[in-house]
Order: sequence, then C-alpha cells, then structure tokens
Amino acid sequence: MNIDDWKSQIKRGTLEFCILLMIRQQPSYGYEIISTLEKYPIIAAKENTIYPLLRRLLKEEYITSLWQESAEGLPPRKYYSITDKGLEYIAAMSVEWENLINVINEIKGE
Amino acid sequence: MEKMLNEYLEKMEKYLRPVAVSERVDIIKEIKSEIQELQSNGMPAEEIIERLGNPKDLAKAYLGDLLAKESRFSWNRFLIVCAFYSVVGFSGMIVIPCLAIIAPVFIFCGILTPILMAVKMISYIFALGIPYVENFGIFVGGIVTFNPIVEFIISLVIGALLCLVGRGAWKLLVFYCKKISTTASNLSI
Repeated sequence: MNIDDWKSQIKRGTLEFCILLMIRQQPSYGYEIISTLEKYPIIAAKENTIYPLLRRLLKEEYITSLWQESAEGLPPRKYYSITDKGLEYIAAMSVEWENLINVINEIKGE
Repeated sequence: MEKMLNEYLEKMEKYLRPVAVSERVDIIKEIKSEIQELQSNGMPAEEIIERLGNPKDLAKAYLGDLLAKESRFSWNRFLIVCAFYSVVGFSGMIVIPCLAIIAPVFIFCGILTPILMAVKMISYIFALGIPYVENFGIFVGGIVTFNPIVEFIISLVIGALLCLVGRGAWKLLVFYCKKISTTASNLSI
C-alpha cells in the first residue's frame, strides 16, 4: 500500500486552492503561508513548491503582490492579496470541490 | 548577513540567469526576506540552508514553472538547437556508420584470425596438407618466415587486440548515442 504517493497527488491538486483560500482570508507573505501550511501535514509544502506556485498565481493574475516594510529589525515582506479574478477562480474551484465531495459520498453510499 | 547565506543567494542568482533581471531580483529579495525572518527567529545559518534545500534545486523550481508557462520564442535558444542538430546530423552521418561497421568487423576478424592460424598449425603438426593454408600466415615483407606454432601464438595476440578495438568502437558508439539523446532532452526542457 503506498498511501504517500496518493497523498502527494492530492497535495499537488489542492495546494493551489488552499493557498488562494489563505490569501483570501488575509493578505499574507511567503514565509507566513509556508509556516501555516506546516501545521497541516497533508498540505505541508516547502519553499521550492510554494514560491514558484505563488509566482504562477501572480502571472495568472489571481493574486497581486506588494512589498511592505516591516517593524524595525525585520526584513521587508512581500504580501500577496487576492484579486477579483482570484475570487472568481476560488468560487469555481469551490463548486468543483463540493461536487467531488458529493460524488465520493454518493459512491461510498452514505 | 552571514557569508554562507550570501553565498547561497549568489548561487541561486547564478542558476536563475535565464530569468529576466527584474524578476530575478524580486525572487532573490523574497528568499532573502525569508532568510532574515528565520534569522530573527533565531535559526542558525546551517538550519536555514537545510530548510531551503539545494540552491540549484530551488532555482530550478522557479525555472521549471517559468519554462512551462512561457514558451516565449528566443533566438538564442533557436540558434543553439539549430547548431546542435547540424553538428549531430553531420557527425552522425560519419561517426555512426563508421563505428557500426568497425565494431562488428573488428570483433569478427579478431575471432577469425586465431581460428585460421590454429587450422594452419594443426595442418603443420599433423602434416595434413589442408589446401590453401599456405596462404595464411604472418608475412613481414617476405623476408622473415615464422614457424606456424609461433604464428598461432602471435595471431592470438593480434586477435585479442582486434577484439579490443572492436569492443572499444562499440562502446564509443553507445556513448555517442547516449550523449546525443541526453543533450537533446536537455535542450528541449
């Protein structure tokens, strides 16, 4: 049984959704997103996954970014926030997600 | 910032060379921001580097996504691909057929030589008088003639050498083909 393989496939498919949902909650910076994800092993991902993913979401205009100076002693942070296009994308993904959950429940016969 | 971490960022910058300057600066700035954040949390440099992983891999993660998304036409790339296939085309026309002929023929000759010499030697020892065996032999300008037994021993050495050359040619052919296919797959990332 190779559950890890399957888990990594789920992660690949849902990480984008999770990150967009997090950014919708509140504008966040890269490290913040990564450390929040670390709390949930099923979707935890490293820098080499998250940063390129954020960059792609930026390019596709689902999110925007803004460099902000932080309090003294801390580095400037690049904050990501959701765009209208991003909100639409989340809405469409949510529909599909509900759909998937329903289908699985139906197939399970519950 | 510590030397180790600076080196890390420099390496990343080097591997990110295919990315446009403004974007590269931004990527480095963002990673640097995280490094500083981790430092202010009290994480030692070694641990930070371990967390971020190999700078090459981190840089490649950006490149992979970029290349997949942006299929922008680049003259540089086009020229490299053209040059590669021209060289491979021309060299392949000569190298592959030559090696493909040399390898089996040399090995065949390497095996045949001692066999023929053995036939001559047996014919000589047992005085069988097998026809045409006098045409085999090691001829050094018609001056020195060898005893068939000596000839057989020399032929063993020559046969081994021929086999080695044939095997070398075969290996070279395999190496050449492998090298080309890996280079080709690297070109079309």
